Amino acid sequence: MRIDVSIPSLLEDCTGGRRRFSLDAATLDEALVRLNTTYPLLRHHLYDEAEQLRQHVLLFFNDQNVARLERLDLPLRSGDRLAVLQNVSGG
Amino acid sequence: MARQVVVLAGTNKGLFIFRSDVQRRSWRVSGPHMSGWEVFSVLCLPPRAAAGLRLLAGTSHAAYGPTIRLSDDLGATWTQMPASPRFTMESGLRLKRIWQLTPGAPDELETVYAGVEEAGLFVSHDRGESWLPVDGLNGQLRAGDRQTASSGRCLHSVLVAPTRSSRMWVGVSGAGVLRTDDGGEQWVTCNACLPAPEAVHAKTGTGQYVQKLALDPRDGRTLYLQHRCGVFKSIDGADSWQPTDQGLPGSFGFPVCVAHTGEVFVAPLAGEDERYMPDGRLRLYRSGDGGDTWAPCDNGLPAYPSYVSVLRDALAVDSLDPLGVYVGTTAGELFCSSDGGDTWQALPGQYSRITVVKAWANA
Repeated sequence: MRIDVSIPSLLEDCTGGRRRFSLDAATLDEALVRLNTTYPLLRHHLYDEAEQLRQHVLLFFNDQNVARLERLDLPLRSGDRLAVLQNVSGG
Repeated sequence: MARQVVVLAGTNKGLFIFRSDVQRRSWRVSGPHMSGWEVFSVLCLPPRAAAGLRLLAGTSHAAYGPTIRLSDDLGATWTQMPASPRFTMESGLRLKRIWQLTPGAPDELETVYAGVEEAGLFVSHDRGESWLPVDGLNGQLRAGDRQTASSGRCLHSVLVAPTRSSRMWVGVSGAGVLRTDDGGEQWVTCNACLPAPEAVHAKTGTGQYVQKLALDPRDGRTLYLQHRCGVFKSIDGADSWQPTDQGLPGSFGFPVCVAHTGEVFVAPLAGEDERYMPDGRLRLYRSGDGGDTWAPCDNGLPAYPSYVSVLRDALAVDSLDPLGVYVGTTAGELFCSSDGGDTWQALPGQYSRITVVKAWANA
């Protein structure tokens, strides 16, 4: 299944200059693995040395925070969205 | 081609590049490069036989962490390095910022060192493309952390002896000065005669709040440091230190910089709690006698209230004669002196918080 992925402009040089692109995977966890293996520099910015999602990085699957999902082996459907966001405020 | 002076000014929102002729009176600026990224460290590697001039930048972000970026076209384009410095999972450490980029010894043209937070040292042997931890030092810092329950420090200063490539010094906040004489395998603490640290550090000889460490490029044995408690000087390669701050308005500050002329520049602050310029006036201090005496040099710096600070890497000199001196503030202003600090001019623009300034003269 092909899903839509979006990332912040700060990270677009990790994905060949693209902020929006598609990814083929059967499940959400497969999509996450594929995202990180396809774009190793993106992985560097999303995950710390302990392989934990960095403290101020958010991954959203459609309208749900991935960190709060009970399971990641969710089957993907056409039109599903995976978004990288930053949890930083100020100003 | 006419000789050109280039100044790199890193901010917490990108890098700006200033260019001038050797008169250093009229400047052109480009940027922001790497917009949105903190640029805490920059370095210019000179051309060598098979490669041209290369710029390196240590970039980081509160959410996305740090990487090294390289430019082989004078800053027009930048490329992130996938093999940037990174601690191992087993270390339990998190790399938060790249505080310092320093070239290796004159006979090690491919070598670059990176000082990072949490405190550690990495080395590259391919002009910044891939990096390895300097285990001898990093292991010693971790052992010290365990004994003193310290963490989160940064390694902000890296100095390589110009005439003895196996000798290096590093400055680490909360630990002090360490030196190696064997290229990085063994390190000794060099904090003798610095103010007494808290008792918990007695066994390790660390616990020193060294803000910045600088080497006199003329002899390779004379060093200066800005400590939380004053400016200190060593004439024996950091075996011992003596206070050398007569004439300074205060003891607290961050940068210390030594020119090829031997002149030393510092930027004292009102105090540890205030962290702005004394009396709200941007003012550097210069010593022309090896730190024995200091005098203000502020002719042309703002006469208006300037409750700003100068961060530890935001004070730089060039290699020209007359000497160029450059200072960036936390309010995003950049000033230049093309006569060794006698008079100053503002460079065009106001930027975000200036974190690092480096200058060099192109052939």
